Formats: sequence, C-alpha cells, structure tokens
Amino acid sequence: MRYAFFAGCTTLARLWGYEIATRKVAERLGVELLDMSGSSCCGTTYLETLDHKTGLAVAARNICIAEEMGLDIVTVCNGCTEVLTKANKELREDPGLRADVNEVLAEVGKEFRGTVEVKHFVRMLKDDIGLEKIQAEVSRPLKGLRVGAHYGCHMLKPSDVMLYDDPEVPTTLDELVDVTGAESIPYPNKLECCTGPIMGVREDVTWSVGLEKVETVKKYADVLVTACPFCYLTYERCQLMADESPEVPIVHYPQLLGLALGLDYNELGFDGNKIDASRLLDFMEV
Amino acid sequence: MRGVSELTDEKEIRIRPENVEFRRRIMEIPGAERLMLCYQCGSCTADCPVAMRVDEFRPRRIARLAAYGQKERLLEGDTVWLCAGCYTCYERCPEQVRVSEIVSALRKLALKEGIIHPTYKALMKSLAEIGYIYEIDDFQNEMREDEDLPPAPEPDTDEVEKIMRETGFLDLVEGG
Repeated sequence: MRYAFFAGCTTLARLWGYEIATRKVAERLGVELLDMSGSSCCGTTYLETLDHKTGLAVAARNICIAEEMGLDIVTVCNGCTEVLTKANKELREDPGLRADVNEVLAEVGKEFRGTVEVKHFVRMLKDDIGLEKIQAEVSRPLKGLRVGAHYGCHMLKPSDVMLYDDPEVPTTLDELVDVTGAESIPYPNKLECCTGPIMGVREDVTWSVGLEKVETVKKYADVLVTACPFCYLTYERCQLMADESPEVPIVHYPQLLGLALGLDYNELGFDGNKIDASRLLDFMEV
Repeated sequence: MRGVSELTDEKEIRIRPENVEFRRRIMEIPGAERLMLCYQCGSCTADCPVAMRVDEFRPRRIARLAAYGQKERLLEGDTVWLCAGCYTCYERCPEQVRVSEIVSALRKLALKEGIIHPTYKALMKSLAEIGYIYEIDDFQNEMREDEDLPPAPEPDTDEVEKIMRETGFLDLVEGG
C-alpha cells in the first residue's frame, strides 16, 4: 500500500516523535508513505473561515500534488484532515466552485481533478489495513494499560463532511487502542474539544480546558492517547505550564501501536514527549 | 452611523435598514443561509466548550445579533475569534442553523471591513511567506536529520503566495 504523506506544519516543525512513530509503524505494517514534494500547510481551519475560495485553493493545490503522484493522501493532523477532506468534497460536488478554484490554480499550473481520497492515519489503519491484520502483528500486547483515548473534533466533524464513524459515539480510536492489548477506558467528557484553535486568542482558556481533561483522565487511566498534534500540544503544554502538573503522559497513537508491534521504545520518538512516558514500559510483556 | 457606545441604553437593539442589509450579507455566505430558522433554543451555548468558560462568548447571542444584523456588536472585541471550530453546535443544532457557520461568515465579513485578529493575521502572513504556519528552517531540518527524518517538504512559496494574492485575500489581510 502506498500513500502520499501529508504531515502538516505542527508535526513537521514541532512533533518529530509523532512523525517518527507514524513512519515506523507504517513501515512495520508494509505501508509506504511518500513525501509530497512542494506541498505547503493545508491552509488551516483558520483560513477556511476567513475566505472560502482562498482556503479551497490552498488546500486544492496540495491535493493536486497527490493527484499528480496518483496516490490517496494520509494525514496525521485532524485539522489537515478536515480542511483537505472538505475541499476535496466541495470541489468534487460543485462544478461551479471547481471551475472558480481551477481558474486560480491555473495561475500556478495546477488543476484539481478530484481523483484521490484523503484519510487520517488511524482511518487508514482501520479501513485499509484492518483490525484483524493489525492484531495478528501485535507481538507485545500492552496488557493492563488503561488508556484515555482522545479523538479530537475534526477527525469526525462536521459529520456530513467527514462521513466517518459516529461523531457522538465514535469507536475507531478505541478499537485501535484495544488492539494493542491496552484497554480504552471510558471517561467523562471524552469528546470535548481541546480548544487548541483559540490558544492564540485566549490561551488561559485552552490551558484550563486542557488541564480539566488531563486531570479527569488521571482518575481513570494511565496515559492519554491523541491522534492530532494540536490536541497533543494542548494536553502536554497545559501540564508544563501548571503550578502542579498532573504528570499524565500524552502519547501519540502510533507510539502506542509501535510498542505493541514490537518496536523499541527508543525508536518511537519518545524523547520528544515532554512528560515522561516510560511508565508504558511497565506494561510490556517480554 | 452612530456606534453602540453612543446609544443611551447599550441593551437597545433596533433593526434599521442597514442592519437588514448586514443580515442579508451574512445569509448569502454559504453555510449561513439558515440563520432565520434560529428560535433561540440555546443548544449551541449549552454545549459550547468555550461558552462554558468564557462569559462573553455566547453562541445563541451571536445567532440573535446576526438575525438582527447588529454589525458593530458582533464585530467588536474577540467575539467572532473565540469560536474553537469544534462543530458541536453544528452537529446539535435542531434547525441546522449552525452557529459555527454564522461565526465563520462573520469572520469573512469582518475581514472585508479590515478587521482581523492579530493571531490570525500573523498565521496567514506566515502561510503566504513560508508556506507553513510555523517556521521550518535549516536548524529544524538539521534536527530532523539527527532524528533520521527526511527534510520537511519545501513548499513552493511562490505558488502559495500567488494563490493568496490572486483571490484578493492577502491584500485584505495586509490591510487589516
């Protein structure tokens, strides 16, 4: 299986651990992730709210690169997933809009054709590889580990755009956690937004939302697992800024899966996790 | 036109022709068409993660002020910039009014008035200049190399900027 890999700004610039683990897990499962030469930021959810056409055009320019590669796009950021999925859907379904955007894209020698799909890495794992196949590859189940899974909003919403899982009762990430031998634990307010997008407007709100989640998870689970760099940063940074940090390790989902697949702790980018996650080692059966 | 601050009673709302016109401008933006179906049930505010913590951010109030075309009240302060875009109100609105989309329409109109939050402005300028919202320079790529990661894709910044200029968006951002 081969995909065009769209890492997104936050992961590329700040969260190498996420990228390393994603690449290692993909390799281990026989998935080839090819970099998208010349690709930029997806455009961001900010841009799509400021100017519809520009947002579509910046997103579509990136989609065009994958179309030229002839490959579906795999993302690791919920924001990029939503922005690219929405652009892809709108431009496929609305010929007038597509003509408008293609007029802009023509200025840079590109044309949106609508020939590729966009999917989050966890969706690719579940839909394209499948839980059974992943299960069969698990060599070191994380028995006894209690995980608080955090989906993040844009993997699922807006649901009439994302058309994936159930936005009120999702199961994908929980199933992918359970496949590692760990247990995804229910906890209150599990689906609440991290409010990372207003970090630059009212950061005190983001930190307090983050801490509330982390402190809740601490009562029920050993670690918090995320699938989005924005959510990850919120839950990590709110603890680093707190007077008394709850010290709940925040773990990128591919790091968790990587351990279960038998990859070494030291090769999964954990040195980038600013809250020590080595307690995971206590749950690994040798 | 007199601003809100000049009114004797700040709670007074009147729907003048210019307010009707502003409402029309909101509703012609894709996603905001169903504004007038809002019957003020408050599901949006009840479930909003920001409204739970920030008194000044009231999605239901935004829908009401938008229906009354109250441009000044809506565009002043941080109101339209406080939505985290989580789409909870979008999913749960019983009339599919979707305040997240009303906020999004208001941001577009704010930008046309030369109003943009400084954080948004900085992010958009960064996107146009370096193709990313965070800098990924030689230092970052050296660090990436140390981690055995390939260099980050180098965005074709000329293309990105050209797109953002072509639509007129960048001029609006720079003017705001």
